[in-house]
Amino acid sequence: MRYFATLGFFVALLSTTVSTTVSAQDWKVDYRNSQISFIIKQMNVPVEGGFSRFNVKAFFDAAKPEQGTFQVELDIGSIDTGSEEGDGEARRPAWFDTARHPKARFVSKTITRNNAGSYTVNGDLTLKGRTRPLSVPVVLTPQRGGGWLVSGRATLKRSHFDIGGGEWADPSVVADDLEARFKLLLKP
Amino acid sequence: MPQRYRWPTISLHWLTLLLIVAAYIIMTILQDMSLSPQKLKLYSWHKWVGITVLFLLPLRLLMRFFDPLDHRAGLTALEVKASAAVHGAIYLLLFAVPMFGWLHSSAAGFPVVWLGVLPLPDLVGKDKALSELFKELHEGSVNLLIGLVVLHAVAALYHHHIRRDGVLARMVPGLRNKQ
Repeated sequence: MRYFATLGFFVALLSTTVSTTVSAQDWKVDYRNSQISFIIKQMNVPVEGGFSRFNVKAFFDAAKPEQGTFQVELDIGSIDTGSEEGDGEARRPAWFDTARHPKARFVSKTITRNNAGSYTVNGDLTLKGRTRPLSVPVVLTPQRGGGWLVSGRATLKRSHFDIGGGEWADPSVVADDLEARFKLLLKP
Repeated sequence: MPQRYRWPTISLHWLTLLLIVAAYIIMTILQDMSLSPQKLKLYSWHKWVGITVLFLLPLRLLMRFFDPLDHRAGLTALEVKASAAVHGAIYLLLFAVPMFGWLHSSAAGFPVVWLGVLPLPDLVGKDKALSELFKELHEGSVNLLIGLVVLHAVAALYHHHIRRDGVLARMVPGLRNKQ
């Protein structure tokens, strides 16, 4: 009887430990299977681009993601605009001015739960030294082995961040709206 | 006996020539430009013009059926064969040149939206090596097309000035056959 009580105590202790390990944690990012991309219309033609280098900090409890935090840092120099001449142009002052603003940053402030697996992440996006609030619908999809696929898309206006000014300002050539898309694979 | 093609045939013939010249000039201009909004516009215009040539092609083939003239009149058997070969090759290239351009654009990851309104499907996925291949084929085939068009024009002038058989006048409104 005493033996079983001791066993019971250990089981209880163990389960406490287990529940602690599945609570809020820093998730590892599988960068090979993660993407941050964008689609922008040029002469009404949707052209896809992306960033090959970025850094994600995801800290949340899978049971309560709305209490977590997300931070994404983009290396603007790693931009792929879909063409080599476009990549060169994008780094220049009229566009991202990578010499002065090499990084872009998104920092979450609040997360609200819409329904199971669907959240809205509200935060600040800093791009080319300008910070604007951004609200991003995010879907969390559980993966085998306890990981999560974090995916979503958000529409931004490049003019809000002074990206592509001067001769490039005309939205009939390069649209003002662009859609940012991301797929981040998180592992425990 | 009709000795001139009807207006749709004539219009389509000269419109196609005008579009090809326009597409060629646009590409020549934009090749030397550094990236700018103007260059993006010219790229699109080049594609719109080229795709228009492609879209006009079925109409032209229909008009050959509805508006035929005797191609053989006054020609030797060899000339009939040579004429058919050149015309056949020109039609084939009027199809191939824009198709290679469209394939090049698809493979480069830039879809074609005709006149900025009609999105054309991507024929192949984004692939850099494939894009380069189609670019070469686009350039090679257009040079071949230009060569054949020059040959075609020289033959027409030969018919007009030397043979004086009314062949050129069939396609040129208001042109009188030399007596």
